[in-house]
Amino acid sequence: MLEAAARNLLDPAILFFVVGLLAGLVRSNLEIPQQVTKFLSLYLLMALGLKGGATMAVQGVTVGSLVAILAAVLMAFIVPILTFLVLRRLVDPFNAAAIAGTYGSVSAVTFIAGQQFLTKNDIAFGGHMSAAMVFMESPAIIMAVMLVSFLRRSRNEGAEGGNEASSQGEAVSALPSMREVLHEAFTDGGHLLLIASLCVGYIAGESGEAIMKPFVGDLFKGILAFFLLEMGLLVGRQFGESEFRLEPALTVFALVAPVVYAVLALGLARALSLSRGDAILLATLSASASYIVVPAILRYAVPEARPGIYFTMALGLTFPFNIIAGIPLYHALSGWVWP
Amino acid sequence: MRPLETKKLLTLIAPIELQRMLIDTLKRREIGGYTLVPCTGAGTTGLRSGMLGVDSNVLIYVIMSEQRLQRVLEDIDTLMRSGYRVKAIVQDIAIMPRKIAAEGAQNAE
Repeated sequence: MLEAAARNLLDPAILFFVVGLLAGLVRSNLEIPQQVTKFLSLYLLMALGLKGGATMAVQGVTVGSLVAILAAVLMAFIVPILTFLVLRRLVDPFNAAAIAGTYGSVSAVTFIAGQQFLTKNDIAFGGHMSAAMVFMESPAIIMAVMLVSFLRRSRNEGAEGGNEASSQGEAVSALPSMREVLHEAFTDGGHLLLIASLCVGYIAGESGEAIMKPFVGDLFKGILAFFLLEMGLLVGRQFGESEFRLEPALTVFALVAPVVYAVLALGLARALSLSRGDAILLATLSASASYIVVPAILRYAVPEARPGIYFTMALGLTFPFNIIAGIPLYHALSGWVWP
Repeated sequence: MRPLETKKLLTLIAPIELQRMLIDTLKRREIGGYTLVPCTGAGTTGLRSGMLGVDSNVLIYVIMSEQRLQRVLEDIDTLMRSGYRVKAIVQDIAIMPRKIAAEGAQNAE
């Protein structure tokens, strides 16, 4: 286990993440223009989709791949439910629902880091896991928004006095409808690009992958390293410059919950006889939290929740934990079940 | 020189995710002209570093009459009561108008 963890830490991409983290913490003036970051994230999603689609075309869509996708969807429902049940005792229900949405969804960069880890350790995984990731993105958002609608109804029913009821009614009218929220979720640029790239990769197949290799293959590792440098910088700045501080219980949750969800995912993967590589990726996805797509939707759809809480938990704690320690840990845990 | 007109400048500071919602709110009040400036900053909910698309704020500048401003402020108030984190700053300004009012019309005013 220690050998794999050390190999992970010595990966240039991970080392650049640490460099960015330190630069952010010491308040360095290192800057990467936002448009460059946007390009890097779109590039990574495109490369991920193309590679996943091409692998699926080569391997074919089998019962095994459908079972893996089904397991992913199941985890996408289990994680937000468990998160909400645990956190509603610690924070107000709107924040609990928002955090549930964030943790129920996934981080594509964590998934890519998981794939890189497996490749380095010669563990095979299916291209269908990229499709599984796509299927894991949305259920949690829908669940969080439904939960919040229910919470609002309960709050409004509980409100006493004519003035208060009228004020609440007026307030609710400013909130987006479920249809508007779903439109935001499904038309997100990154989400659309990933799905489109999966389809293109699948249609173009092996020959298409060969054509695109110089762009999405040879450059991939370097661009991932550059993106992780930026992410490290972002995480470092959140801690180095922000006055916002999380409650200790939420800090513990952000570091412990990923391991619990990964263990659940590994158990489910074992019960469904998934391969070890697919199981580790399922665990990585279940342990990850969205820090781009879902927080953006939550700001719009759940204004009652504090963005500082769910964004800081997902980006500042869970993301670096998974990148640095989580993925090697899930690999080690899987070794007990898949000898 | 054309005479200056007295107007109100409304400056909205909001997370960039709310940009479309705020523009739609203005459009409902038949305000189609505004200036957008992406910006960064920090507040009670943490740092908005501007490093990610979702980690940015936006400044929206709108120039309008006082009468129209009141209706827009009511809409912004409704959004704020729903929990949206929007800052609204109102200033009195004098603006050099693009169109010069006709001499007769000016006299009538």
